[in-house]
Amino acid sequence: MKRLSIMLCIVLMFAMSACSSSNTNGQATPEPKTETDKNEPSGEKKVIKMLHWKQDNINKVIESINKQFEEKYPEYKVEYTTTAPDEEYKQAMRSRITAGDLDIFPDLSGMRLSPKDWTPGAKVPDWQQWIDAGLIADLSNEAFVKNWNANDIAQAGTYKGKVYAIPAGKVAMSGLFYNKEIFAKYNLQVPKTWTEFVNVSETLKKNGVIPIAMAGKDIWPLKLPVFSLQAQILAGGDQSKWIEGVWKGTAKFNDPDAVEVLEKMKTIQDNYTIDGFMGISYNTLPSYFASGKVAMMPNGVWEAPTVAAANPNLKFGYFPLPGTEDPAKNNFLVGKYDMTWYVAEKGPNKEGALKWLVFFSQPEIYQQFVQAAGFLPTMDNVKTNSAFLDNEVMPYMDRFQLAYEILMINRENVGEHLAAEGVHTEFLAPGGPFRSAKELADVQQKEWEAAAPEK
Amino acid sequence: MYPFGQGPARYLPYLLLLLPLAQYVIFYAGPSLFTVIYSFTDITNVPGKDYHFVGLDNYRDLFFSGNASERWDSIGRTLYFTLVVTVVQNGVALLVAVLINKRLRGDTFFRAVFFLPVVLGVAVVSLIWTMMFDPVGGPVNQIYQLFGYSDTFFGSFEHAFEYIIFVQIWMYMGYSMLIFLAGLQSVPKELYEAGYIDGTTSWKAFRHITFPMIAPAFTVNMLLSIIGAMQTFDIIVATTDGGFNTRTMAYDVYKETFRGSLEMGLPSALSVIQFLFILVFVVLAVHFLRKREVEH
Repeated sequence: MKRLSIMLCIVLMFAMSACSSSNTNGQATPEPKTETDKNEPSGEKKVIKMLHWKQDNINKVIESINKQFEEKYPEYKVEYTTTAPDEEYKQAMRSRITAGDLDIFPDLSGMRLSPKDWTPGAKVPDWQQWIDAGLIADLSNEAFVKNWNANDIAQAGTYKGKVYAIPAGKVAMSGLFYNKEIFAKYNLQVPKTWTEFVNVSETLKKNGVIPIAMAGKDIWPLKLPVFSLQAQILAGGDQSKWIEGVWKGTAKFNDPDAVEVLEKMKTIQDNYTIDGFMGISYNTLPSYFASGKVAMMPNGVWEAPTVAAANPNLKFGYFPLPGTEDPAKNNFLVGKYDMTWYVAEKGPNKEGALKWLVFFSQPEIYQQFVQAAGFLPTMDNVKTNSAFLDNEVMPYMDRFQLAYEILMINRENVGEHLAAEGVHTEFLAPGGPFRSAKELADVQQKEWEAAAPEK
Repeated sequence: MYPFGQGPARYLPYLLLLLPLAQYVIFYAGPSLFTVIYSFTDITNVPGKDYHFVGLDNYRDLFFSGNASERWDSIGRTLYFTLVVTVVQNGVALLVAVLINKRLRGDTFFRAVFFLPVVLGVAVVSLIWTMMFDPVGGPVNQIYQLFGYSDTFFGSFEHAFEYIIFVQIWMYMGYSMLIFLAGLQSVPKELYEAGYIDGTTSWKAFRHITFPMIAPAFTVNMLLSIIGAMQTFDIIVATTDGGFNTRTMAYDVYKETFRGSLEMGLPSALSVIQFLFILVFVVLAVHFLRKREVEH
């Protein structure tokens, strides 16, 4: 018996050391690595704590704006911390808010996923829980809100009639970058209908050019072209109605229109995409396109500066993925609000954070930001000064729509084929287990029903 | 009899032990206990929100809600992972350790090389293999193409998990090997000499002398790889991030805690379940492994 207990002790010790050792290397513990600029220690300066995610062009412009801010208000010091993007940023944001260690921070998109009265049992998003718990400052009575486009504030920063957030820009993400030289060489026009798109891809393929480069390893980039199909096809081009329909039971994930979306994406994945795309990671994707070997790349407009930097001589354009046979139904882009600033109500320096937002909301400062970030402005009379945005993207912005992932409200504990507000075309051939779009759609509908709230 | 003298001085070692004990309670035992308690509540990560006891709701959510089948997938995958890693890793490690122990030239070099991956750490190892397994022009895929085959590796629904298992074994094999080597070096030479006189073949010598004599090292290795394999999630995060059918229990705990909703009850319940699994396996393993340890 005694030996057993000694044995167990040893095992426990090993188990613990095994845990701790596995937690000290690599990225196991979710403790965000912070990088604050090492200026002189702020003696009696009031520190404004700002959190952000790493994205070179945006980090640079924010740092420069912070510098200008500190010059104008020498009593403040902005402590600008960045973490890795997306999931890791969400993690850092949560832990810092919970600890009350944050004054001002941007969320990844505008306010979204808020349950409606027709969505019983839906998940309550983080931002809404924070506002309900009184952690977010109310900006309704601040003068600087008037500088911003009222419609954008209403869509992406207003909750229960009060303004809580400032969306710093819009991005379009449902289109494809295309290589103008390749298109000219084979005498191809920008496709306006699905059939034209297929023909363009076929012609390229026949001539030995890879039509499309996609990144499947990170999964989410596959959502981007699907957003275009969803906005054009679901419920005849009214995806909000369709989303309400699946909640109410009048629309289904295996209805013909939803299957058509999957079907068309499957066609692209099967026939026109670079070999092995399911193993390509997102950050290497622009290099395939910039090399001039690939004719098209579905991606968000935010990637334009990266492409231009990778190959300054590349002539490229942008067009929305056409999903239907009616050109009039296809000529708009889908996207989201990006980088929505919130001020923490209980942070150590709320008034400093508000002051920073006032500073940021001046048109000339915001102009610097938009130009560097490559966003579409959410402030009237601010110019992008980007030929790419003005000539390639703006023509499709009149009927701009929010993307499915922003409009969709998900059920709690929904299965993996519908998780994260997507329809997960990675499960389709060639890489995935589903050989036909219908099979996947049937499983999705089953999972959707299984996740229904108990009556 | 009285190593620390008599009188009050006797209590000195206990006083000194209080410090680590307090740390253990504050940072390990306490939080573990709270995890169990929280698993019966609907607590969230939002400061200032109150929470209530909800009984077994979280556990019911895990196993009877819309995506319960994924939970079973994760459990099955964890067991598969544990089995393969434990068997293959220790098998290979034992073979390599015996070979190195033969005193062949450059054994220190090999020892260092095989142990290197552990030192590198998960992030570096994952990065190395992500590059090796690049489907477009990566070295491994080029070798595959010589044989007329190609794969998407960490982006493949069929094989991504097997590649993760491979990376895990590649990484921790050296660790098991070192423990085996330590065990091998404690085997008295006389035993082999005696066996040699009696005319044993080298296989028999291994089967009847080496293998029983390194039983303690074997036990430690088995337990470490079982516990380690059941807790693995860092390699998964770094390579596939749970996509392509590679979620395990430990990954689910991580994902639900830090990337799911702000709810903390469900992930707590999940980690309690995971703990029970590990406990059962370790107790069983200890029981069977102890039976075969020889007394000196």
